[in-house]
Amino acid sequence: MVERPIKVLLAKKKIDVHGRGTKLIARELRDAGMEVIYFRFGTAEEIISAALQEDVDVIGVSIMTSGHLSIAKKLMSGLKEHEMDDVLVIMGGVIPEVDFDELKAMGIDEVFLPGLPGETVAQYIRENLKRVYV
Amino acid sequence: MSNQPNNNGFDKAKEAWSKARQKYADKITPKTNLSGIPIRSVYTPEDTASLDLANMPGVYPYTRGLYPDGYALTPWMQQMVFGYGTVEETRKKMESLVAQGMEGYFGHKVFNVVYDLPTMYGIDADHPEAEGNVGQCGVHLCTVEDYDELIRDWELEKTNFSLITGDNCLPGLALIIAAAQRRGQTADSLRGNSMNWYPRIAVQDIPSWPPHLGYALMTDLIQYCSKHAPAWNTANIFMYGLSEAGATPVQELAYGLAWGKSVIDAGKAAGLEPDHFVGRLGFQVGIQTNLFEEVAKLRAHRKMWAEITRKAGCTVPQCMHARVHVHTAGNVLTAQQPLNNTARITIQIMAAVLGGVQSIHSCSFDETIGIPTELSHRTALRSQQIMMWESGLKDVADPLAGSYYVEWLTDQMEKEAWKIYNRVEDLGGYMKGLADGSIKRDIDNSAYQTKLQIKKGTLPMVGLNRYVMDEKEKHEPFRVDYAIERKAIERLRAFRKKRSQQEVDGALLSLKNACDQFKGGAGHLMPVLVDAAGKGVTNGEMMETMRNAFGWVVTD
Repeated sequence: MVERPIKVLLAKKKIDVHGRGTKLIARELRDAGMEVIYFRFGTAEEIISAALQEDVDVIGVSIMTSGHLSIAKKLMSGLKEHEMDDVLVIMGGVIPEVDFDELKAMGIDEVFLPGLPGETVAQYIRENLKRVYV
Repeated sequence: MSNQPNNNGFDKAKEAWSKARQKYADKITPKTNLSGIPIRSVYTPEDTASLDLANMPGVYPYTRGLYPDGYALTPWMQQMVFGYGTVEETRKKMESLVAQGMEGYFGHKVFNVVYDLPTMYGIDADHPEAEGNVGQCGVHLCTVEDYDELIRDWELEKTNFSLITGDNCLPGLALIIAAAQRRGQTADSLRGNSMNWYPRIAVQDIPSWPPHLGYALMTDLIQYCSKHAPAWNTANIFMYGLSEAGATPVQELAYGLAWGKSVIDAGKAAGLEPDHFVGRLGFQVGIQTNLFEEVAKLRAHRKMWAEITRKAGCTVPQCMHARVHVHTAGNVLTAQQPLNNTARITIQIMAAVLGGVQSIHSCSFDETIGIPTELSHRTALRSQQIMMWESGLKDVADPLAGSYYVEWLTDQMEKEAWKIYNRVEDLGGYMKGLADGSIKRDIDNSAYQTKLQIKKGTLPMVGLNRYVMDEKEKHEPFRVDYAIERKAIERLRAFRKKRSQQEVDGALLSLKNACDQFKGGAGHLMPVLVDAAGKGVTNGEMMETMRNAFGWVVTD
């Protein structure tokens, strides 16, 4: 197996606004040595197809304007269909903490509050990556 | 102590001051404000000696305020952003806000209505991509009937409708004009504001029109209104958007003014006289938590805009007025320990009032968690009202004038902002900086630097990098029932059934032809859109036609 940097796809849901958080996390994950594909806006299907094409290890979805539950549901069922169980899926942004458990029950691996250092996310990714590299 | 009061002049006082601090002076850590300007711990007459402080409020260059007596005649406008669901839910919210005392100048009604993302983006409720977003973070308004209901029974001449549209700015205005016409009134009876903030694309990675057409559409609305709706405010220079994207207060000032200048340039290039349209441009400014820096920014902003507009050919005072609506900053609010945000919002409202602005939206403390609740939204409004009636802050115009620190800082903010502004102008102006991505890069870099400072702890944020608590936040946000989506779709379908499809098809064909011409630099779009709106063409249908003609791009 060839050693390569951890590959992360960062996306926002199809119609959303305010990219500051996503762009910052993208930059901070790059600082942490990861390869980041900043996908901007996509439907669950578009995000999955980009993730397949880029063969990413992690999908990160940022939410600013609600709709986190519906995109999580679609995303997780799409990933299952494509047998992408080895991809780590995280979410972040303006998401109420009272919804975190429901998101995790759907299969989202972790949810992050806004404003946290990118290093917190990077560390989580390193420690929880589902694919194993030598 | 035998310290004698020193009445023998400043020099002696300063000497004594030096002595008093001698022991520890070199241990004081140097500070900078958010804009990177070094701040000392004491300011003196020496710092203002070279400044021209012989100004009065209401007099050019308006550093001290737009009006001679500040808020003495009428307080600022309380313009809380609101809107969710269909127009029916939003109508109820309008009425409850009026009952809560939200009002504008001289008791006029003010409605700062935010649209949902599908409407902003230009897709109707039944479009597949709208799913999950209809009525969620704003109201879904797609037909002229929706606007009939929005304006129903309000006295148009005494009601301000600020329409927080996205790219649907022109269709939004066309639809409200059509609704006014349906009740027998004309466009010139409308009061309010189009956002017309295409230039925000400079910092937002969302798809929109190609730059030259974005500016052409913006100008088309301004031209239309200067003729048909002279009391309508035609463009909102969205400095808040720059600030939220990461601009420092000085960058926000500089790029905001350059944005404003680009609107003036575009209007003049289209043949408009500055005095005929510049007075209907306004600003929306972000206010972060460093109180004095924000006050200085607002003071410098008025002065700089006065100079820019005069240089651009404006001669009437109203056209040199930087009229400001403040949106308290969302980016400095924390999801951690969210009630702490009430303290931040209070400081921000104070800065806005001490800075002499015309209108304020105060954020709700729980916006970092989700859509504000009835209680948090009302408390944000009440915070303004407490500031208005209990604090005494509005009693005196420009109360910080003459403060060594504030006057010095106003001057520093101005100087730093001119540096950036002049660089942007020298390189071809804001529109060029938008198209080549240079504005975005500069502001993105500031956002990154801010984040690094928060990470290092050099920019303290309570609850985020200081006094952190490891507690789960149980706050329940306002939930918009997803059933509203079905309701919106039903409203839309019922409307489509009622209209004459033949008229709609004809109007859409005329719109398509007008777009093709417009793309080639000929003709106007607004009159065609108003006509289409009256014939029942929806927001999404107008936008689809426009997108097909003009293209839809994401700038780098």
